[in-house]
Amino acid sequence: MSTNSVGEEQQSGLVLRGVGKDLGGRTIVDDLDLVVAKGELVCLLGPSGCGKTTTLRMIAGFLNPDVGTISIDGEIVTRVPPEKRPTAMVFQNYALWPHMSVFENVAYPLKLRRTPKNEITARVHEMLELVNLMHHEKSRPARISGGEQQRVALARALVQRPAVLLLDEPLSNLDAKLRVRVREDIREIQQRLGITTVIVTHDQDEALSISDRVAVMNSGRIEQYSDPTELYRSPATRFVGGFVGAMNTLDGELRGGADSTVAVVGGVTVPVDTPATPGTAAGDRPVSLGVRPENVLLGPVEAGASAKIIRSIPRGHFTEMVIELATATGEPTELRAYLDDRSPIARLGPGDAVGVRLHSVLSYDQDGRLR
Amino acid sequence: MARRHTGTGPGSRIKIGGLLMASPPIIVAAVFVGFPIIVAIAYSLGHVGGLNRTIATIARGQHTVGAWDRMSLGAYRDVFTDPRFTHDLGVTIIVTLIATLAVTALAWVIAVYLRTTPEGAWFRSGVAKLISGLAVVPMFIPVVIASWAMLTFYAADGFIRSLCADLGFQGPTWGYTMVCVAIGLVWTNLPFATLMITSGVQSVPDALIEAARDAGAGLLTIVRTVIAPLTIVPTVIALTFTAIGTLGAFTMPYFTGPNAPSMLGVDMVSYFRSYNRPQQSVVMAVVVFAVAAVFGAFYVWANFRSAKDSGRV
Repeated sequence: MSTNSVGEEQQSGLVLRGVGKDLGGRTIVDDLDLVVAKGELVCLLGPSGCGKTTTLRMIAGFLNPDVGTISIDGEIVTRVPPEKRPTAMVFQNYALWPHMSVFENVAYPLKLRRTPKNEITARVHEMLELVNLMHHEKSRPARISGGEQQRVALARALVQRPAVLLLDEPLSNLDAKLRVRVREDIREIQQRLGITTVIVTHDQDEALSISDRVAVMNSGRIEQYSDPTELYRSPATRFVGGFVGAMNTLDGELRGGADSTVAVVGGVTVPVDTPATPGTAAGDRPVSLGVRPENVLLGPVEAGASAKIIRSIPRGHFTEMVIELATATGEPTELRAYLDDRSPIARLGPGDAVGVRLHSVLSYDQDGRLR
Repeated sequence: MARRHTGTGPGSRIKIGGLLMASPPIIVAAVFVGFPIIVAIAYSLGHVGGLNRTIATIARGQHTVGAWDRMSLGAYRDVFTDPRFTHDLGVTIIVTLIATLAVTALAWVIAVYLRTTPEGAWFRSGVAKLISGLAVVPMFIPVVIASWAMLTFYAADGFIRSLCADLGFQGPTWGYTMVCVAIGLVWTNLPFATLMITSGVQSVPDALIEAARDAGAGLLTIVRTVIAPLTIVPTVIALTFTAIGTLGAFTMPYFTGPNAPSMLGVDMVSYFRSYNRPQQSVVMAVVVFAVAAVFGAFYVWANFRSAKDSGRV
């Protein structure tokens, strides 16, 4: 987790400090800090039950944190009820009012604010044009598709001109193709309006593709908070590595210096192409290594540690190979590798021998933290 | 070539099967409710033959017609020119409206209170549980017993008056007045209305209410603009059932009401049994039936409108 200077905090759209929440005797969110800069899009990513939705609901005001403070644009809003908070939320099931037309749904927040009638019409039309739904102005929510309902919900949130826009699993009810398009739409609109946004998702693809920064949550805490590239390249914990993208986890350690590095796994040394800080295990403390499948390089037997192909899985634009490393202890160690279809190795089948080299190996201590 | 369904196709066999399965209640309703209604209406119009012969031989003050294609409005004239009837009709309608509105309002307050009780608010959730339990109690108490309890409570020497006397002032005597009848009818009709409306209000999804709060709405605005429109059907069901039940109430007004004016349920029994004027009694029943049909039409209209709103029709 990054520490933030006072300067950053003042410019921040949204700041959570030491926020905690217990529900039903269980700690759901635990001493959580989060700073979202003005105009930034941040994803809260994590498995179900990690506290990401609870965090979002505390930001929106539907739940009061037990401890900690929440501030928006420098003003503390921890105890401000949702109807008075400068936030707007897009709910998972869109929560459109079925008895109102699309226009009335979007106009509702403005009517409550006693906005003049012609201004309401102008602003609602502006929003419906933004989400490309002018032709459905008079339709009831039940008459339009899921993707369109989603956009109505977004328009209803944006028409309030909120300081912070919150989206709870906005794409989980859409089919795969539509999901990609809608998430790009959301990103585009968000950037055009420069609105501070927090999105809750359990889909790493979604998080990596649209966020400025991603906060990976686990058991009520943020495990890592960084930009998508950093998150993927150097996951701060073993959990993050496993949750964001695929990761081979090996019991072993890195040895060697700047010129030649090897990974020692089950008594066998595997050459590593990139220099890495060698493992500094004192005594026999167990250490684990993480390596992404695309960083497991397969070649002729003489080019690396010897291994045997177990399975070859065609994945469309690449081939996934499951190989078993021949260890000295006899304990089987499986590795997954992604191979370009044009590579000659991709044509080998189960039982064939290959040589293994590794690239960009990450080394984690016994608590699962990156060294 | 397109094949058209004929009477022997599998589709029509399913249709006939469905019809057969639905038919027992329809037949029972037609024979034991529909047919007697027709016979009674015929009697009110002066047809004293057939199934009406027995009652016609002992009844007094009857208006009769000789042929099946004639009718007499004499009994209707009798009833509508009797100031006692028109007064009682007015009283019945007023009591019905008051009781129905009071029941619906109380049921709504209870439903909204139960719906908006925040999680973990131990005092309010305790009160909420108590209220939802108490609201259905009248359902398990026979109306006769409730009527007598009501009387002793509001009688001249009853609880309210005794308490007021202890506190040093004259309390009201509501026993044997229309006030007592109205209170009693509210008591008997409240459980059903509360169950109906509470379940309707509970079934409004949380997210719809939260979305309204998020948009800036307070409690009353949410009730008015979100919860109420989505609870129209259960509210109308509760309204019509309460109204129709109150309109034809007998036990509560008979036991706790005054001799005059009285509600039409009591009048019908008096005309039928005590005054031996069954034809006039049936005329009153037809009038009550017509007023109830107005509430029924309202019910159908509301159902249709809400189905149209949510895109089901």
